Amino acid sequence: MSEIISKAGLRELAKEWIAQGKVVAGPVQTKPGLVMYAKLASADEIVWEGFVRPANSVKEFVFPRHELLCTYKMEGNRVELANDGAEIPAQILLAVRPCDAAAFPILDHVFNWDCRDELYNRRREATTVIALACESHDESCFCTSVGLSPQAERGSDVMLFDLGEEYEVRSLTDKGRALFAGKAQPSERTAPTYMGPDPRFNPEQVKQFVDGQFTSPYWQEATLACLGCGACAYNCPTCHCFDIVDEGNSQHGKRVRNWDSCQFGQFTLHASGHNPRPDQGSRQRQRVLHKFSIYPEKFGEILCTGCGNCTRNCPEGQGMLTLLTGIEHA
Amino acid sequence: MPDIYTPDLMEVVNVRKQTPDVKSVRIQFQNKARASQFDFRVGQFGIFSAFGSGESTFNICSSSNWKDSLEFCFRKVGRVTEALWRVEEGDTIGFRGPYGNGYPVEKWEGKNLIFLGGGIAMPPIRCAVWYALENREKYGNITVVYGARTVADLVYVDELAEWAKRDRVRVIQCVDPGGQTSDWKGEVGFVPTVFERAKVAAENSVALVIGPPIMIKNTLPVLEKLGMGPDSIYTSLENRMKCGVGKCGRCNAGPVYVCKEGPVFTMEQLQKLPQDY
Ligand SMILES: Cc1cc2nc3c(=O)[nH]c(=O)nc-3n(C[C@H](O)[C@H](O)[C@H](O)COP(=O)(O)OP(=O)(O)OC[C@H]3O[C@@H](n4cnc5c(N)ncnc54)[C@H](O)[C@@H]3O)c2cc1C
Ligand code: FES
Repeated sequence: MSEIISKAGLRELAKEWIAQGKVVAGPVQTKPGLVMYAKLASADEIVWEGFVRPANSVKEFVFPRHELLCTYKMEGNRVELANDGAEIPAQILLAVRPCDAAAFPILDHVFNWDCRDELYNRRREATTVIALACESHDESCFCTSVGLSPQAERGSDVMLFDLGEEYEVRSLTDKGRALFAGKAQPSERTAPTYMGPDPRFNPEQVKQFVDGQFTSPYWQEATLACLGCGACAYNCPTCHCFDIVDEGNSQHGKRVRNWDSCQFGQFTLHASGHNPRPDQGSRQRQRVLHKFSIYPEKFGEILCTGCGNCTRNCPEGQGMLTLLTGIEHA
Repeated sequence: MPDIYTPDLMEVVNVRKQTPDVKSVRIQFQNKARASQFDFRVGQFGIFSAFGSGESTFNICSSSNWKDSLEFCFRKVGRVTEALWRVEEGDTIGFRGPYGNGYPVEKWEGKNLIFLGGGIAMPPIRCAVWYALENREKYGNITVVYGARTVADLVYVDELAEWAKRDRVRVIQCVDPGGQTSDWKGEVGFVPTVFERAKVAAENSVALVIGPPIMIKNTLPVLEKLGMGPDSIYTSLENRMKCGVGKCGRCNAGPVYVCKEGPVFTMEQLQKLPQDY
């Protein structure tokens, strides 16, 4: 048996969460035609329908694009370091797409294998994910090609399904149940299953190709249009490469980590001038290799949720899907 | 909350200018408790930082038997190394590590050791040579072939002379043609050629080859001719790194995280990896 909550009731609930001092984030129309995940100043800002998915990914609430590692202060030849002791407030990510929610357990692997990244974990643990099942897709979507679906529950604490005037509420974890306890009513109604896009490629085939055809001219030919801007990676729910830099002067400042991307030429440039990945062909190949071969081999999961943001944000209209569907004819 | 990216604070106890653009720096933990816990394997690396300029990856080039301090040696090539160039005794710098796998020195026991290095590759070889000399009974003959562009570019020259005096150690120094001075007593030529001319017996040996890709490429056929298999030839990769702990995605070479599974690989392992280093 499942539960329902009225749409007005959910809005009230979101207001309550904000009033309690929780950070609540969800899809917000930031300018005409552009919906982005953002922190809500008020529960009314959230956009529930009328778009396929936000143009960014929700990962930045757990893995910010710019994050303090420590501050330093120099006096004479002594240095003092301090860590960011700030409490991370409880945060609720609301109306998240299943392809964003699924990225969290996938990212958990890399941030916890071998040694734990506490900066990531403290945000992750403070986060509750309330996903909203998709009811539409566009030509960039390909969740069904990577083992997910418009109703995929992976990474969500609660799944919502649109029933018209109400949402069906499926609480999946204790964290999720705690948020909706006493707020949702028992119900017999369940949402029909929306099938989403037809599968577009076979990830096993992609792995075989990138492993076996590392030097294929395909990588160069298929990426001639790539500008190396990194928009695909920055808006990807699973891309997690970062850089560590100092900001400050010789007296005081901070050490921070910033998002980075394997699409940038400097990414692998050695001090000797040698660059193992000297062109966009090898850089895009690396993105495919990491997502469909390295990560599955190491952590048992594809590092891609099929959200299609790489294509939606690409100034050349390319992205993963173009590259991966092309493999069949390579 | 201390995290995996916050460095230890280190006091600079010694700085030596090795060449016009290479310095070696010896450092000590300011936190004495940390110093007594610290241990590493030769061949591992660290991430060193000049606060305000950032972090850089260098091999730890002291022997793991030297408990009171650590040493690294770097060439001035960019932002961080320019800043480190300016540090003096008494200054404070940052260190994270040790990272990476290091050399399989236990597996090398009972073998003759051949070290082939070019340019700034001396630091990662130096720690292994000292380690072997300090455990002399465990290793056979030691051969070091070390080359630089010019005489002025050779690093740790005093130590090369010191090793050459030891029992069962042969040290061959060379400079590129044109890089010699009138009083140069070493060889003239590139490392692979000089090594071939030296006719080193390669039975029961392991080789550690570190240097620019072109040097490694030209050295491998010579080692093969001597009968050495790809499982007995080692190198240390220098894929660009940031985190050192398998998170930031910078160092991948095919399926491996070089910072975790490397940087030390046998040629046999490298042959299975795609050309991504
Ligand atoms: C495992 C490992 C071990 C290493 N061990 C050692 C070691 O023992 N010793 C050592 O010396 N190095 C070592 N390196 C290489 C070392 O990490 C780099 O040389 C160092 O990080 C460069 O840092 P930087 O900030 O000074 O250079 P950056 O400022 O980051 O410069 C990087 C690139 O920019 C170029 N560049 C910088 N400034 C300029 C400029 N003004 N004009 C044009 N181009 C410029 C450089 O040529 C270089 O290609 C190692 C690397 C790895 C991965
Ligand atoms: S250096 Fe960051 S993953 Fe290896």
